[in-house]
Amino acid sequence: MEAVAFGRWPEHADEGLTAHVATCAVCGDLAEVARVLHDDRDAACREAPAPAAGMVWWRATIRARAEAARTATQPITALQGIAAACAVGLAGGLVSVAWRSIDWTAWMDRLGGLVGHLEKRRADIAAVSALATSHALPVLLGLAACLVLAPLVLYLTLADD
Amino acid sequence: MRDVTLSELDGFGAATEAEEAFQMDEDSFRVFYERTARPVWAYLSRMTGDPRLADDLLQEAYYRFLRASVAHENDAHRRNYLFRIATNLVRDLRRRPGIDSVPMADGAHAIDQPDPRSADVAAGAARRVDLSRAMARLKPRERDLLWLAYAQGSSHQEIAEMLGLKTASIKLLLFRARRRLAALLRGGRT
Repeated sequence: MEAVAFGRWPEHADEGLTAHVATCAVCGDLAEVARVLHDDRDAACREAPAPAAGMVWWRATIRARAEAARTATQPITALQGIAAACAVGLAGGLVSVAWRSIDWTAWMDRLGGLVGHLEKRRADIAAVSALATSHALPVLLGLAACLVLAPLVLYLTLADD
Repeated sequence: MRDVTLSELDGFGAATEAEEAFQMDEDSFRVFYERTARPVWAYLSRMTGDPRLADDLLQEAYYRFLRASVAHENDAHRRNYLFRIATNLVRDLRRRPGIDSVPMADGAHAIDQPDPRSADVAAGAARRVDLSRAMARLKPRERDLLWLAYAQGSSHQEIAEMLGLKTASIKLLLFRARRRLAALLRGGRT
């Protein structure tokens, strides 16, 4: 190993060592592998396009500052998320309270009266429905476009460059 | 989460605050870097088989080294720690799906780089081509062991620390890897 490391193997190696390596399978493997790897390392070190130390230091500094900045803004982002969750929870609570306060029996009675009234005017309703159906397609397409485009517009508006 | 722009970075303090998070000052780093950059790059290049990737990993390795809060006894300990970081980076890279973990050193490029110690330039280049083919057929840990032991000259204890293995097992693992590589090298020539 030492002979290889100092470039003495095999041309300038001790004769006894050379003779031993020629007869010993283990040492023969060691000598061959060590020499080839050592030569390859030297070649790789010669061709290594390592950047200047100053460049590596500067990049590390920039990255450390960026990470420090992100760490500093993390509590703000967390608070924003918590506030949004509280708002959604509060809205859900209010809807739940309002839902329970509705008198559903009175509403069903009113709906029944409305259905009875509409039954008397069935022919008029059929004519209006036919008219609406013939013009429904553009309306539906417009609604579908709004549903598809609205999230995209929101994303483009809120996304940063 | 959006990236922070350079103008916003200015509002978070001067560069010296970031440098204080590093384990060494710039002058010490320059000296250390000049001594270790080429061997580390050579190790990364040969283990990944991609010189461009080795450039990125080199920067990443030194960044992690600078940010690590580790007390080093001497320069050799510092160097071993750096190689340990480099080894972990290569290992993480190999675990990514779709990454071709078989290193194929550029044999044609090796031929263009003459070996000043050897009078027979062609023989030296041919040996490196054979080596790259043989190394490609070894397991990743075998490649790591052989390079660190015979190219880098690390001791068994140092290799064990870098690879996260027991020192007592290095000798046997190294013996098997060496025997396998020698057989592949001999088989490549026949």
